[in-house]
Amino acid sequence: MQLNSDGTKPIYVQIAEWLENEIIADQLRTDDKVYSQYQLAELFNINPATAGKGLTLLLEEQIVYKKRGLGMFVTTEAKQMILVKRRNERLTTMVQEIVLEARRLMVSEDELIELIKCARSGEERK
Amino acid sequence: MMTVIQCENLEKKFRKKKALQNITFQIEGEKITGLIGRNGTGKTTLLRILAGMTKQTSGTVTILDKTPFNNLFVSANSILINDQMQFPGSFKLQDILNFAPDFYEKWDAELATRLLQYFRLSPQSYHSDLSKGMKNTFNFIFGLATRCTVTMFDEPINGMDEAVRKDVYRALLKDYLAYPRTIIISSHFLDEMEHLLEDILLLDEGKVALHKSLDELREHAIGLQGPADVVKKWATGFEILHEKQLAGNQLYTVLKAQDCTFNEKQLLQEGISFIPVSAGDLCLYLTNTRVGGIDDVFND
Repeated sequence: MQLNSDGTKPIYVQIAEWLENEIIADQLRTDDKVYSQYQLAELFNINPATAGKGLTLLLEEQIVYKKRGLGMFVTTEAKQMILVKRRNERLTTMVQEIVLEARRLMVSEDELIELIKCARSGEERK
Repeated sequence: MMTVIQCENLEKKFRKKKALQNITFQIEGEKITGLIGRNGTGKTTLLRILAGMTKQTSGTVTILDKTPFNNLFVSANSILINDQMQFPGSFKLQDILNFAPDFYEKWDAELATRLLQYFRLSPQSYHSDLSKGMKNTFNFIFGLATRCTVTMFDEPINGMDEAVRKDVYRALLKDYLAYPRTIIISSHFLDEMEHLLEDILLLDEGKVALHKSLDELREHAIGLQGPADVVKKWATGFEILHEKQLAGNQLYTVLKAQDCTFNEKQLLQEGISFIPVSAGDLCLYLTNTRVGGIDDVFND
């Protein structure tokens, strides 16, 4: 993954999201050990404090748990929690943006729904 | 965490001119700090004081609990790398490397040799014969290999080409991960190295303008762009750090984010977009004393 450093999204958030993606894709499963802040720093070429902040974010959301002296591990509920969170936050904001852009371009509600349907069926055909 | 560097009310005068004043800050633990500031804001003077190469006019400074000026302990445990480093003229690069462990007990000869080879610096060449970029590459390697508890780089990447700069940053990070220590780097190119930094120390006209972690700095300001009148309406009551007129009566404003919570949806609907402010740009805005910009010089 390439980090985006233009400031739109803080690096540590991108690190947290990358780890979440690994969990969603089953690259990291329940009770698997998560990369340490030093491994992440090396992997993404960033300061370890920034990487640590990404891990703290996941710790706070109970996507990972800490074993003293051993590192961080994926919780049982992690994947489910990420999926719910992504649906609630990301999908909602993305839909809002689409609706706004559609209004600017004077695309009617029906046309917009049609577009989404097309995209969905196109996806299924793949 | 242990305080490694501490400055209190540091002042440095050259004749009557104050190069540094009211400098108070401390650096704790093994962090990489970026020393940022415009030309002539005292970055080099501050680093020279920290390294014990020059004495402050007043105030106190301690490195590892010692006053750096004329102190052997500090000079054995700290190093300042810049492009004015002098090595004996009759020394080949290899001779310099051979003498280094006498001065720096943590010297890593293997690292130095491998880096020299990687950057294609011949151990048989003379320091004074190197080009500007190669000289700075060598100085950087020397600084890294000393593994000094306090390692300071003053504009280390001057004259290096882009590929070398990238490698140099990567080498610095890798060695820091393996051997954490206190590192200060001054540079004009914040954008290029901000991913490496934990903290930023921003100087402005000889004073500390800001000393924060990079993450805090990024939350220090927000940029709004949209129709001028709408942007102005939303910006009222905020401290404006930067303003720029854009084509089509659009205005770009950077506000100091004083725990403000804008209703993003509302703003989007009124045609305003949030433009992220990079750390580098923000540092420029925070230290820009001139009103307006270069365009004004050409306006009647």
